[in-house]
Amino acid sequence: MTPAPAASPEDQDLSTTEVPPSHADNSEIANETPGPDSEGDISVDSAGLKGWWKVFASTYVTIFLAEIGDKTQVTTLLMSAESHKPWLVFAGAGTALICTSLLGVLLGRWLATRLKPRTLEVGAGITLLIITIGLGWDIFQGI
Amino acid sequence: MDWSLIGLSFAAVFLSELGDKSQVAAIALGGSSKYPKAVFFGTSAALLTASLIGVLIGEGTATLFPPQAVKSVAALGFLFMGVRLLWFGDGEDDGAETTNE
Repeated sequence: MTPAPAASPEDQDLSTTEVPPSHADNSEIANETPGPDSEGDISVDSAGLKGWWKVFASTYVTIFLAEIGDKTQVTTLLMSAESHKPWLVFAGAGTALICTSLLGVLLGRWLATRLKPRTLEVGAGITLLIITIGLGWDIFQGI
Repeated sequence: MDWSLIGLSFAAVFLSELGDKSQVAAIALGGSSKYPKAVFFGTSAALLTASLIGVLIGEGTATLFPPQAVKSVAALGFLFMGVRLLWFGDGEDDGAETTNE
């Protein structure tokens, strides 16, 4: 079975990830991120859109479940209880959470420009397994 | 407007989240995914919902979301994503899947 027709922009995306690292330095995000420039692509290419939502949904669900009842949430909860101004606490906490996520993703992108794609995948995979073990430990400890 | 309260909650949450598992996950997923923006929006939205629920229902969160059960599902989710990355490389590579459709 031959894979999807060569026209698929995904194939091009994959091939750009194999470009030698030296090339990656200045082209950073433009290199493989489906940034604003590729929004046209996304609307044309429903597979890309589907992939986008799949990543969004899987990230959302996993992080949500990992974080609910976690220490940040407890901090927020205590602060809003003490201050009786839950919305102000939420405003501060929410901004902080957006900032830390943004920093995380940007750091990941930066690493992506430095490392070989496969190295990055293995590193990311191992990192996720370590998080799994951490969560397992939490569960084991009765949280 | 109580700016010091906003600042305090910002600082408290920012510091406690720095290097925490969701940020580490954002680094790992954002770096390896073809859709880093989806990772960013997914992570932020999840964290915002979780803290919104904390603010809205406070102590009731633990009853509505029994921590051990919820964390078990999360652990399975991370396990799945990690194994997928190690085994198949770019996990959400829909190129492979669209061939089936």
